[in-house]
Amino acid sequence: MGKTKIKIDYSKCGPEGNVDPRDCAKCLNVCDPCVFLRHEDLKFKEENVFDPQHWKITPIWPSVCTRCYKCIDVCPENAISIKW
Amino acid sequence: MCKWCMQHGIGKKWYMNARNYSDQLADEYNLREYLTEQWMNFEAVYIRKIAGISSKALGYKLQMPIIGKILRWSVERMIHGAVKHPNPIRADGHIGQVIPMEDAQIILSKLAAEPIVETYCMCRKMQRGINYQCCINFGVLSEVLEKLPRFIPKERAHRISREEAMEKIELHNKNGLVSTVWYQPYPYINAICNCESPECGALRLRNDFDLMIMSKAEYIINLDQDKCQGCKACVSMCQWNAIRYIPSIKRVIIDYNKCFGCGVCRHACKHDALKLIPRQEFHGFDGHF
Repeated sequence: MGKTKIKIDYSKCGPEGNVDPRDCAKCLNVCDPCVFLRHEDLKFKEENVFDPQHWKITPIWPSVCTRCYKCIDVCPENAISIKW
Repeated sequence: MCKWCMQHGIGKKWYMNARNYSDQLADEYNLREYLTEQWMNFEAVYIRKIAGISSKALGYKLQMPIIGKILRWSVERMIHGAVKHPNPIRADGHIGQVIPMEDAQIILSKLAAEPIVETYCMCRKMQRGINYQCCINFGVLSEVLEKLPRFIPKERAHRISREEAMEKIELHNKNGLVSTVWYQPYPYINAICNCESPECGALRLRNDFDLMIMSKAEYIINLDQDKCQGCKACVSMCQWNAIRYIPSIKRVIIDYNKCFGCGVCRHACKHDALKLIPRQEFHGFDGHF
């Protein structure tokens, strides 16, 4: 069994995309083993460092992914793709 | 007792040593500044690169032939704050231990430095995308977190009294959450979180990658096999999958290697069959936390 590789299209999701991960978070809700992480996008310089406004989602633990495809089905932007 | 009890417990459990909670200790190490640095971008800790490597896909990276072993050694050093200059952005020296409800209540009633706040749990925010108010912080960490609006509930008060904190611990334990006490950084103690798997970062690193960021409790469960009626209520409470029901003998069995001694299963048992005993007194104890 090969390594699971999950990709998110950041032109659809995140500060440079159509959806703010703070408002959506559907992939985070639906992934039972919690593969995804919502974190500050360190590329952006924040106006207020105590209240960052630029958030991004990264598939941080692909080794626990069970390939159930629920994240791909639930994403409103079809931003997630997977291969293994 | 675990190694931190030896080093910082002065003859007791490390988290029962009052000095580890004191504001003086925090001032000595400039921990207001350290913790502010750590918490400002704490959610990004897993994607930050250290020596060119981030924690992304850590499960796969640790499996690599030689580099995996070096990586494991390096990460363990950082976790235990055993590096020359603890770095707040990497959350060096952030280590914890599972504690049963009673020990958590002792800490909150006698040892924790006020003000005590209950904030949104960072792990559930970043891994589950929800706001869940269950992380109890105290000492200088309270004022640090009050500067970060995303962790402070708007509709509810976040500052709580010692009595309220003790009641919340009981509520969280009865809900099946595991109380954990934290060095942050070593040797200063300022948080008791109520964890669940797989959202909790520490449980992830310990359960899935065998990194010693979180130790088992100083206790272990003891099942009274005669009292167990086989109602199975405890089975779903165990976050470590240490309890299984065996239909042919009509009672549960415990995997004592998996038990972390959190004691949460006791709250589901109506037959008084589950009790916590000191881990040292367990016959099979081999010094492994």
